[in-house]
This record gives sequence, C-alpha cells and structure tokens, in this order.
Amino acid sequence: MSEETSTLPEARPRDAVLGPQEETIEEPRRGRSLPSLGGSSRFTGLLLLAVIISVFAVWIPDTFLRSATAQGIASEQAVTLVVAVGLLANLAAGQFDLSVAGNLGLTSLLVATLMVYDHMAPGLAVAIGLAAGTAIGVVNGVLVAVIGVNSFIATLGMSSVLLAITEQISGDQFVGPLPSSFVSLTGHSLAGVPEIAIYALIVAVVVWWALEHTPWGRRVYGTGAGPDAAKLAGVRTGRYVFGTFVISGFVAGLAGVLLASQLGDLSPTLGPPYLLPVFAACFLGTTQVKPGRFNVWGTVLAIILLAVGEKGLQLADGGALWVTDLFNGVALIGAVSVAVLSARWRRSNT
Amino acid sequence: MNNPMALELRGVSKAFDGRRVLHDIDLQLRAGEVHALLGQNGSGKSTLIKILAGYHPPERGAGGVVHGEPFELGDAASAREAGIRFIHQDLGLVGDLDVVDNLALGDRYTRRWWLSDRQERRAAQALLMEFDVDIDGATLVRSLAPAQQTLVALVRAIRRGIDARGLLVLDEPTASLPSHEVKHLFALIRQIRERGGTVLYVTHRLPEVFEVADRVTVLRDGRHVCTEPIEALDHDSLVERIVGRPLSAFYATPPPVREDVVLEASEMSGGSVTSASLTIHSGEIVGVTGLVGSGYEDLLYLIFGGGRHSRTGGTVTVAGVGTLSGAGPHESILAGLALAPADRKRLSAIPEWTLRENVTLPLLHARGPLRWMTTRRERADAQVWLDRLQVTPAEPERMFSSLSGGNQQKVVLSRWLRCGAEAFLLDEPTAGVDVGSKQAIYAAIADAAREGAAILMASSDPEELCAVCDRVLVMRNGALAVTLAGDGLTPDSLAHEVIRETPPSLPSPAIDERNRALHV
Repeated sequence: MSEETSTLPEARPRDAVLGPQEETIEEPRRGRSLPSLGGSSRFTGLLLLAVIISVFAVWIPDTFLRSATAQGIASEQAVTLVVAVGLLANLAAGQFDLSVAGNLGLTSLLVATLMVYDHMAPGLAVAIGLAAGTAIGVVNGVLVAVIGVNSFIATLGMSSVLLAITEQISGDQFVGPLPSSFVSLTGHSLAGVPEIAIYALIVAVVVWWALEHTPWGRRVYGTGAGPDAAKLAGVRTGRYVFGTFVISGFVAGLAGVLLASQLGDLSPTLGPPYLLPVFAACFLGTTQVKPGRFNVWGTVLAIILLAVGEKGLQLADGGALWVTDLFNGVALIGAVSVAVLSARWRRSNT
Repeated sequence: MNNPMALELRGVSKAFDGRRVLHDIDLQLRAGEVHALLGQNGSGKSTLIKILAGYHPPERGAGGVVHGEPFELGDAASAREAGIRFIHQDLGLVGDLDVVDNLALGDRYTRRWWLSDRQERRAAQALLMEFDVDIDGATLVRSLAPAQQTLVALVRAIRRGIDARGLLVLDEPTASLPSHEVKHLFALIRQIRERGGTVLYVTHRLPEVFEVADRVTVLRDGRHVCTEPIEALDHDSLVERIVGRPLSAFYATPPPVREDVVLEASEMSGGSVTSASLTIHSGEIVGVTGLVGSGYEDLLYLIFGGGRHSRTGGTVTVAGVGTLSGAGPHESILAGLALAPADRKRLSAIPEWTLRENVTLPLLHARGPLRWMTTRRERADAQVWLDRLQVTPAEPERMFSSLSGGNQQKVVLSRWLRCGAEAFLLDEPTAGVDVGSKQAIYAAIADAAREGAAILMASSDPEELCAVCDRVLVMRNGALAVTLAGDGLTPDSLAHEVIRETPPSLPSPAIDERNRALHV
C-alpha cells in the first residue's frame, strides 16, 4: 500500500539508466514530498476539504461561514475524536474493539449516576468511571489475547453486555442534571477554541507519540501487519494485543467522562450511535497522511472532513438527522473504495 | 532437429517508466522440446513471461506465432486461445478443496446441470491415472506434499489434452520444492514431451536444467544472451552466461572453526523431531538435511522456540547465556539466537513494510525518557546494514516485497547481524534466490561465521550443503542419523544418506518409494 513502489517496475535491469547514487538520494524523499498530481494520494483529504468548504461557502454563506460553525464542529466531534484515536492502536494491532461505543455509553452514564443518585464527589466518580472503562478493556484483552476468542466476536458480545448494564443502572431514564462543578470542566473556551476540543487534541498527540515515535508503537504495528513475522522477530504479540484493548477501554472511559461533562444530562442510549462514525474515521484515516496504516493525523483529517460535510448539509437542509447517517456511510464506502482501487492501480502498474 | 517451431516471439521490447527492461527479445521453441529460460532476477525473464501470458502489453513491433499462426501478444484471451497454458509459482489451487474439485475448477464439469460427485471423481481419477500420478482424488489439496500439489496443478493445466499443439509454460514450479521431490515433476514433464507437447521452463535451479531441458535461452539485463542446446554447456559455463562474468569463487571458503561452543541443543523434541542433540562452535557452519518429515525442517524452529510446533522437551544453551527451556522467540533473541525462516513472505519479514522497519524491528533504539524514535536516525542506522550486505537497491524506504528473493534474504540477514546475534538458524537460505545473489548470501554467511557466529542451516540442496558447510547432519525418523564431514561429505554421499532408510512416519509412502527408486 505504500506509494514507494508505484513507479518502479518489478523487473529492473541492474545497470539501468539511472545510476544507483541518483536513486538513493531521490527515493527516500519521495515518501515525504507534498502531493503531486497523479503521484501520491496522501493528502487528497485536504483537497477534498477545501472543495467541500468552497461549495458550502458559495451555497449557504450566511449560515456556514461563521466562527460558530467551526466551534460547533470542534465541540461536537471532540468525543468522537477521543474514542477514535484511542481505538487506533487496537486496529493497528489487527484487532477490532467494537465495544468502545458501548464502553463510552456505560462510563458516561455510570459517572452521572454516581454523582446524581449517590451524590459522590465528581473527582471520585471520574476515577471510578475511568477504572470501569479500563476494566472493560482488560476483560476484552483476556478474552482475545489469553482465551483466543476472535476480537470481532468477543467485543460484539461485550457491546451487548455493556448496553444491558447501561439500561439496568439508568432504569431507562435520563440521568441529570449533573453538578455544575463537573459540567464546567468542559464548558469554557480558550481563545475561541472549545476546551473539550483541546483535551481531544492532547489525547491525539499522546497517541501519535506512542504509536508513531516509540518502539512500543512500532511493535503494535508489527503485530497487526504480520503477526507471525513479528513474533519471530521477538515481539511478544499477545501482550501487545492485550495492551491495545486496555488502552482502547481506558480512552473510551475518558471519552465517557468528557461526554457526561459536556452534556450534563444523559440519555441511556448515548453510546451505540458513536460506533459508525468512530470506525469510519479510523478507516478513512488509513487513506490519508500515511496510506495503508491506521494513523492519528489521517484520522483527525477524516473526522474534520466528515464533520464539515455533515454540518454543511445539515445547515443547508434545515437540520435533518438522516443526513448525518447517509453522509457518514457514503463517505466511508466511497473513500475506502477509491483507496482500494488506487492501490490496485498502482500494483498493476509495477 | 528440424522440428517446426511451436512458439516464436520476435522483437519483444518493454519499458517501464522510461526504463527499458526488455531489448528486442527473440525466442523460438521447437515443437516437442523442453526449453529452459534462465536469467537472474531483473534479467527480464518474468516480464517476458508476463507479456506472453497477456499481463503486460509489449511495445510496438513485437510479434508472436504459435505453430505458424500469429496471436496477439499482451492479450490474455488470445494467448489462451492459441493453446498456451501457464503454471505459476503460486499454483492457484484451493487448499480446502480436494483434488477432484481442484481439477474441475476453472474448467467445465462433466455435466452441466447436475453435478454428480461420483462421475467427477471417476473422470478425475482416470485423468490422474493417465499421467501416472499416484494421488487419491479425495485428498484435500492442502494435505498433499508440495510436489504433489505441483503435479495436480500440472495435470489440471493439461486436462483438456496435451497434444502436438500444446504449449505449457512453467514459471519456477520447483522454487518451493525440496530437490528430491522434483523428480516426480520431471517424470510428468517428460511424459508431456513424449506426447508432443512443448514446455517453456523457467527456473533458478541449474541442476534441473541439465536434467530436463533440451535447449536453453539465457537473458541478462533485458537482453538475449544465447540460445544453445544443453549438451553444449556445463554448470560453470552456464552460470557464466547468466551472471555475465567468470565465477572464480562461487562458494566462499569456510572460515576456520574455533574451540568455544556457541550453540548447544540437547534432547530437542517436538513436531516431527523425536530427539536431537547438537553442538556448534564459534565460526562453524553446520548443515542439517533429510527427507520432508524426517524432522530437519522443524529442528531450527524448535531450537528457536517459534513456529508451527511447540517444543516438548530439550534445552538450548547459547554461549555464556544460561539455558533456555520452553523459551519463546523473545527470550531466544535476547540470548543471541537469530532465525531466518524459509517463508520470507510470511515469517521472515513484513512484506509491505519498508526495509528500514524490517531491519530495525527486533532491536529498536529509542532516546530519552520519552523513548522517542525518529525516522531519520533509524534510516541512517538501517542504511549502514543494507550497504554492508550490498542489498540492491540499498534504499531504506523501499518496500520489502519489491525486492528480489536474494535481496530480501540479505535484508533478513542484515537484520540479525545488526542485533549482534551469536548463533544463526537459517532455513533454506537460498530458496528462490538467483545465482548471482546466492554467491552474496554465501559470502555473508561466511563473514558472519568468520566474526565468530555459529551457523546452523537447513537445506534440501546437497551441492549447497557440501560447498558451504563444515559438516552436515542428516536426520531420519526425527533423530540425527549421521554426520558427514571432510572427504566423506559429497553431494552423492549426502543424497544417499538422506534416503537410506524409509521413515515409517512419512505422510505419503508413495513419495518415499519413488524417492528410493530414483536415487539408488
């Protein structure tokens, strides 16, 4: 899936026209260069984003071109972003944690219930919420890495269990209002940027560092890209799989806390609707920045892209809800199809 | 020898992105001959085969004629219509279906509207009998030995009858086969020739060429070097034509063996190995061989503690680092062991990763409390090792899968040299590697030994073992049977020892009987 092979034929004469020196200088740079027409597709998302913004700027300038639109997008997408980047390591390790949405729903409601009904101090409630999210990750990790259940099945089952628990503790009622000291955690803006978006960016930077700039991250990618080869290269793949479930669980818990604070009044069915946008963002992200790999900035770009398109359509159409679902689905299928086709096109040209 | 031509290609040229990989190639195959097409990786032979198969279009001016009738080069349907059949290295069989179903795949069933299992089975078995292939049609393909799978693919390709007009292209069919299993394949190829079929045979293994081919065409750097009858050539002159320079020292001289023991494995068992103990000294290159099923193919993985079979007993000691029992790859690597598996695509490396990432994976250097890694530093690190092993191209950001087999193997070796491994376990280090790169790999192995490493290499190539190793262990029935060294170590003595007894635990007794019949 890397673009490095795109232009070189498989069978190459040894003494080709280009001398070896010239090649060694040129080749590594190609991977870092800016998008060129027909060459790399690493940043097509930015191009597409510019197109979408221009379209709405012309179509509905009055409602779309306002700082409130940008702020709205930032605060609405913050929780999705946190869950998505928390899931990246898990996906990179070749696993599917489908329980992150259920985890998010449960932890947010749990934190709210503890504060509203049990009058617990916000700090303690948050700690319990984070612990619950992590514990869910640990159970997933045991199921997949220790017992050996397929991650798709294990976390699908877990999602259902989490939903059941959520309904049970909420009694199918809204929970709220939450204490103002807790709600104010995410209520402010810094220089016009909603605080919750800043938290999300901090999480993204941490994940980027861990995944792309530490030995730990490299081994996680290895576990996903070639489990057998990674194992024989000394990577204890089972531990890494386990670890990524713990991380996706913990980060989903963190997202749950942020969501509870942001909403202040919680419905028992909050979690599940996050599943599609989160996975859509992660998979769309693999077509951007570092094509073929789950990566943080590709995911961030994908979320912004989806959110801007969705927001524009909502504003243009007077806020119909079905637009969101349709747009997410179509964008995911479309973008990933294009990525698959362009990879195939590159391969058949080598 | 004035046979009419079965296939004529004229003036085939091809360039990729302005880089010419084929220069005006002519190729002529006489009807009823086995014609070997040889050349190093990058010589253009796979491009030529792909053009013939219709995978790539050639440049203007190229022409193809099959039995006097022109066909459109670069068009898959046209090649098929002209009667050209291909068998690629990846045989295209479905492992989870049985032989009968595989024979019917991609072809017509005997009846159209109602599949009758019995009838299919009878037809398939008759077909196998016709070509003297002793395989039960009800066997699942994945449980067949690799050589038998190749036979099934061959029979499928000629299912609709091979006659005087048939033309079969075999693209490295033996790359993954142990040398003694290749015999059955040759028997079938000879049958095809006797029936008037013509075979174009692409391979890296020169002994096979002398055994089965009538004429040879050599390509080098995209140019036609020669087409000659096989009688006019011997091994060295053929290698010279392929590589383009005389081979002064093809095999590196083995370095002197030192006294200190580096690798000691005692009472290893697991998989097909029942009991094996060995000791390897610093600077020593030891080979291990045997029939498939004798345990030689599992031994390295048991020592390393990774792979299909888990170790059921035995201890491994690596110089100065205590005993490893029940250890996994992680512990083995820390102790100084390195394993280069034969399956480069799945086990040796991660094909869609860059060379840089593949080289550094076992030992990742990070700096500071943040354990920060930068691509730049990593690239410089990998570059040193790629240069040392003379990987071409030595570009750290190149994708692993885009390299030739020989260069992939060099990358794998450089990875372990970088880790400072003390004992190297090499499984078929030159499988699927062209002649020129083999030399470089032998040299790299000898270098590692000279620096004090102990090397254990499993191989099914007797000539390679004799040339490279100080001594060779032959396994039978899961145990070490004999050790050959010095003057007693010759390809003949080795081949003889390998098949001397019939291991009762072999998956297919039929193979073994033939082994014996053909060798002794």
